[in-house]
Amino acid sequence: MHLQVVGCSHHNASIEVRERLAFSGEQTCAALEEFGRRFPEVESVLLSTCNRVEIYTATESGDAPSLNELAGFLAGFHGHCPREFLPHLYHHVDREAVRHLFTVASSLDSMVVGEPQILAQVKQAYQSAAGHESVGPLLHAAFQAALKVARRVACETRIHHHRVSIPSVAVADFAEQIFERFDDKRTLVIGAGEMAEETLQYLKDKGARDVTVVNRSDGRAVELAARWQGKAAPWERLDEAIVEADLVISTTGADEPIVTAERFAAIESARAGRPLFVLDLAVPRDFDPAVGERPEVYLYSVDDLRAACQRNRQARDKELPAAERIIEDETERFVAELRHRATGPVIQRLREEWHKPKEEELRRLWNKLPDLDDRAKEEIRQSFDRLVNKLLHPPLESLRDESRHGLPSTLLDAVAKLFRLKD
Amino acid sequence: MLSGAGIGVVCFASSYAVALALEISRLLFRSGVRGAFMVGFAAAGLVAQTAFLYHQALKTPGSPLSSQRDWCLVAAWLLVVVYLYLTCYHPKNAFGVFLLPLVLGLIGVARFLADAQPYAREPASRAWGVVHGVSILLASVAVLVGFVAGIMYLEQARRLKKKLPPIRGLRLPSLEWLARANSRAIVVSVLMLAVGLASGEILRLLSQGDRLPWYDPVVLSTVCVFLWLLAAAVVGVLYRPAQAGRKVAYLTLVSFVALVVALALVLSVDTQHGGRQSRAEAVDGGR
Repeated sequence: MHLQVVGCSHHNASIEVRERLAFSGEQTCAALEEFGRRFPEVESVLLSTCNRVEIYTATESGDAPSLNELAGFLAGFHGHCPREFLPHLYHHVDREAVRHLFTVASSLDSMVVGEPQILAQVKQAYQSAAGHESVGPLLHAAFQAALKVARRVACETRIHHHRVSIPSVAVADFAEQIFERFDDKRTLVIGAGEMAEETLQYLKDKGARDVTVVNRSDGRAVELAARWQGKAAPWERLDEAIVEADLVISTTGADEPIVTAERFAAIESARAGRPLFVLDLAVPRDFDPAVGERPEVYLYSVDDLRAACQRNRQARDKELPAAERIIEDETERFVAELRHRATGPVIQRLREEWHKPKEEELRRLWNKLPDLDDRAKEEIRQSFDRLVNKLLHPPLESLRDESRHGLPSTLLDAVAKLFRLKD
Repeated sequence: MLSGAGIGVVCFASSYAVALALEISRLLFRSGVRGAFMVGFAAAGLVAQTAFLYHQALKTPGSPLSSQRDWCLVAAWLLVVVYLYLTCYHPKNAFGVFLLPLVLGLIGVARFLADAQPYAREPASRAWGVVHGVSILLASVAVLVGFVAGIMYLEQARRLKKKLPPIRGLRLPSLEWLARANSRAIVVSVLMLAVGLASGEILRLLSQGDRLPWYDPVVLSTVCVFLWLLAAAVVGVLYRPAQAGRKVAYLTLVSFVALVVALALVLSVDTQHGGRQSRAEAVDGGR
């Protein structure tokens, strides 16, 4: 029995490396099929997200593919030379591989610890592999256990409650506390910075639909608006756009505030007291801080959110030991179960060997006592079954206990010799 | 001793107090079973209070709205229903921290301040009497709910203005939700008070003999609360800036103060409302 994972993640590989190894949905299907052809006896699951590319393999018997073979497969599929990727790859085997999978699924290995998307991605990778019949009993058990562990971590700790990226904090801790829903709100993006896109993604996930982009360069505004199924507005219409907006994300590279307190005074009177959420992600700031002092304006700058992120990070760090304990316990339990599964064939043979004389004795008894009715026969059969089970209980318990500390090979040999079990 | 069917006020008040303590404990530690216990204690209190009010109704004709004490207890009962509804639908939000103190306050008023004697004045029409009592009661509960939503709104707005993350265990609904609850509370209280005042006037016209004077302190204070709420609702509809959540929250807070003043008048001044004997008459009668 051999379970392993080979891959790279944001911890040890740059985005350029990860991009070259990444698999799209279609490529994942093709890769699983090719892997199945190359290693027909080996189970496999391929997990590819923007932060990691990993292949999990398992085999009950026979030879497992080596690190070089797996690196060759990952790189070779994309037509790259495996040697240049080897320094960026990690390789975990058996217990460490299980622990790694549980850590990944629970989002403890994510770039933003506690982010919820990874669980869905792990689940999708597993389902995709199951759909291609590249998953066998070992990886089935491992991934089912990983999903269970992730749910346990989510339920028993608050690790998912503490968001630590600026856009996620802005949306979850602030925007969602102001607005009940986003599908009827107007979002205005001023500028076209990267963080604006990340924030838009969070807002889209929450249902935001109406997006307007205003940028000094109309071309860039049109491009960004097209990407988010929104509309572009000319820079000259900025004030009108703010009047209409419920949420503003500002990320221009302006040297001075583009919305001063005086400019906002005119905008405010036209807004008729509607609340306005302003996420000023620009440095230097696009909105004069005095705008945030207006009663219905909730203005957050990068520094405000960074402070919230820091507080959340500290709170989350307090939860980490509890989450790690859960992963450690579950890894131990799963590995013990795996080892116990390895004792299965011996246990099976032991049971069969002990049930043979029972059946012979029962046959002899039925011949000697032909007047026995069915009810009496059933009672006697059950007594014999109980006797056999009670006699089997101590050796089976010993095997189970030993499995907790490692594969009980010595004990298995002893049991096989003692009871003359044949292969 | 206030009791009915072997159930005392202390019995259900204790249940609500435990539910409140559990709500407050959200601030201190996490627990997977606390929500069930919170709802369980509040529901147990509600069942006990329902049995109590039912028993009172069997004993006293016109109950459970036949005395000041009954009125406070039924208002508290309705607030607990609102609390249970909100807690079941929004289990993460700490409504109880704000609603249950009001419930306990009303029970306290019923226990220590309110008059337990049934109103001496028999309504000229039983049906209009019921309409009058129920509508005034619902209007008051709407004002109380609006007050709680207003307090929550201002606390949530303060936190967001100070850029603080949500307090662990004291999660509040969004400003949008709270502003909507506030506006609805004002509309419901205006409508119910309008029905209450109209039915009260019908009762006054139907009554033979001693009619309740329009300048009775209870009538005057109720009319004042109604006019205030009506003005708040009309201004809110006609003048859009007045719809701003913070302004609506302040309106509901002032409405609550007006309601408290009206209740204080009912409890403390000489009034013929409900047929209560004026204090002067009571003193004279006692001589």
